[in-house]
Amino acid sequence: MTAIACEELSKIYRSGIFRRREVRALQDFTLSVERGQIFSLLGPNGAGKTTFIKVLLSLTHATAGRASLLDTPLPHVRVRTRVGYLPENHRYPGYLTGDQVLTSFGALSGVPRAMIASRIETLLDLVGMKEWRAVKVKKYSKGMLQRLGLAQALVNDPELLFLDEPTDGVDPMGRKEIRDVLKNLKSEGKTIFLNSHLLSEVELISDRVAILDKGKLLKVGTVDELTAAGEEYRIDIAGTVPEAFLVEAQALVMKIRVEGGTLITEVTEAAALNRLIDLLRKHGVMITSITQRRSSLEESFITLIKREVNA
Amino acid sequence: MRIPALVSLTLRELFAKAALIILAAISTLVLIGVAFVVSVHTAPEGSSLALFGQPVSPPLPEADLIKAVAQMQATLAGGLFTGIILFGIFATAGVIPDALEKGTVDLYLSKPIARWELLLGKALGAITGILANVLYFFIGLWLVFGLKAGVWDPRILLAAGTMIFIFACLYSLVVFFGVLSRNTAVSIIFVYLYLFVVGAILQNREATLYLISTNVVYRTVIDGFYYLLPQISGMQENGAKQILGVAMDWKPFLQSFLSALTIFLGSAVILRNRDF
Repeated sequence: MTAIACEELSKIYRSGIFRRREVRALQDFTLSVERGQIFSLLGPNGAGKTTFIKVLLSLTHATAGRASLLDTPLPHVRVRTRVGYLPENHRYPGYLTGDQVLTSFGALSGVPRAMIASRIETLLDLVGMKEWRAVKVKKYSKGMLQRLGLAQALVNDPELLFLDEPTDGVDPMGRKEIRDVLKNLKSEGKTIFLNSHLLSEVELISDRVAILDKGKLLKVGTVDELTAAGEEYRIDIAGTVPEAFLVEAQALVMKIRVEGGTLITEVTEAAALNRLIDLLRKHGVMITSITQRRSSLEESFITLIKREVNA
Repeated sequence: MRIPALVSLTLRELFAKAALIILAAISTLVLIGVAFVVSVHTAPEGSSLALFGQPVSPPLPEADLIKAVAQMQATLAGGLFTGIILFGIFATAGVIPDALEKGTVDLYLSKPIARWELLLGKALGAITGILANVLYFFIGLWLVFGLKAGVWDPRILLAAGTMIFIFACLYSLVVFFGVLSRNTAVSIIFVYLYLFVVGAILQNREATLYLISTNVVYRTVIDGFYYLLPQISGMQENGAKQILGVAMDWKPFLQSFLSALTIFLGSAVILRNRDF
């Protein structure tokens, strides 16, 4: 059961006189997102993240390729009754109150009139906007608009939720609250598709992450898969490293560097790591800990993008 | 459920912009003015219509008095209708470009709403707003003349329906230019240009454009434009006839309806192909 599936999806924007200038926003983009996951799409500005969501929601037409939402081939208007969307730069009518925004957009989402009031009550509570419900939207701060936007995206109790920079302008407390809301939604079996620049946040909540650049999918995987820095280990030792150990280790063609009381090694297999441990023990070195080194999602992201630029 | 929700949102938008309130205020002032100015002097030889207390007609039998009142109603309705059209277009032309603005259109189209539904809901909202104003004015006019002159002629109420039909036909052009340009000012300028220049020239094409050439193809193209676009002045003339109780020509209404439908469908096709 897939929430999102797309195959060789491409989008070319044409502009200029005779529409000869081309911008390839998506290039043969193939991706599958299982239901019940929090999936994040990362990429630098202009990578095509928002275009991808817009194509899925039929705001923009794909130039080529196929896509489906909740196993329904696109384009399909009514599948959007089961989808929620928080756009990046949303503009709610300033003359409406928070309550009225949710009532109006609830009706547009096809929520039965009898259910809207109770749904709004729950949502305003969820996003912490109950006291502001009767205030006109034009008086809201950016963070409050994001909270209202999240409530709006959830008004139809969607199975699939698209969030484009949901924590933009939200204070740290608010960000934590939004993260908790997303985790709860996931526990209810909902699928969340997230576009975000805040990699540290993505790292905290995502099950899977895809990295996109210039419309091309560079890598997809779990956060662990993306942040594993090869087979690099940190071995903390007590005391100093004997010179004889280093000579013998280099003879075994092991890549080792010493940083204070830590040996950092790159090995290609577990057997090599064990040989190194044996060698340390042979030289009477006391090992205090061994950890596999991980890079942050941000480091992995930057490395990947730089590699792409250099390529 | 979705189209009524769009209509309701549009009405809220128009109220927030105070457009409908200003229009209602103008109508109220006109009605109050008419109520103060118009009266009927009754004498044994008949009743005469008076303005500011001064008789403006000789004593008339009842049937002629009804005609005189209808004439006055037609003049007032015609005048104010032109005002309502001009102000109504000005007040409601922003409805479509505003809905298509970045950040707003994303919210609408991410809902289970087809693009033609968005256009229809928005257009119906604007037309409903103007309908409320037209009804308010025409019912007011009917009441004022009924109470002041004792003439309760229902034709003025039917004319309200005709007037709103004319506005709806013209609004198809507002939708078209709104979708095409996504700019309120451009939309207003083009509709006014049609209303005052192009429409008038096409209406009188035999005395104007036909003089340029006798070429059959040229004249067919000119005729094509005439029949393709709503015939506002033709319908307006018939609206006055309706109030006066004169036989109406329904051809301009039918042609305008088909033209408005075509223009609306064209707008929907343009919108369907657009990327946001």
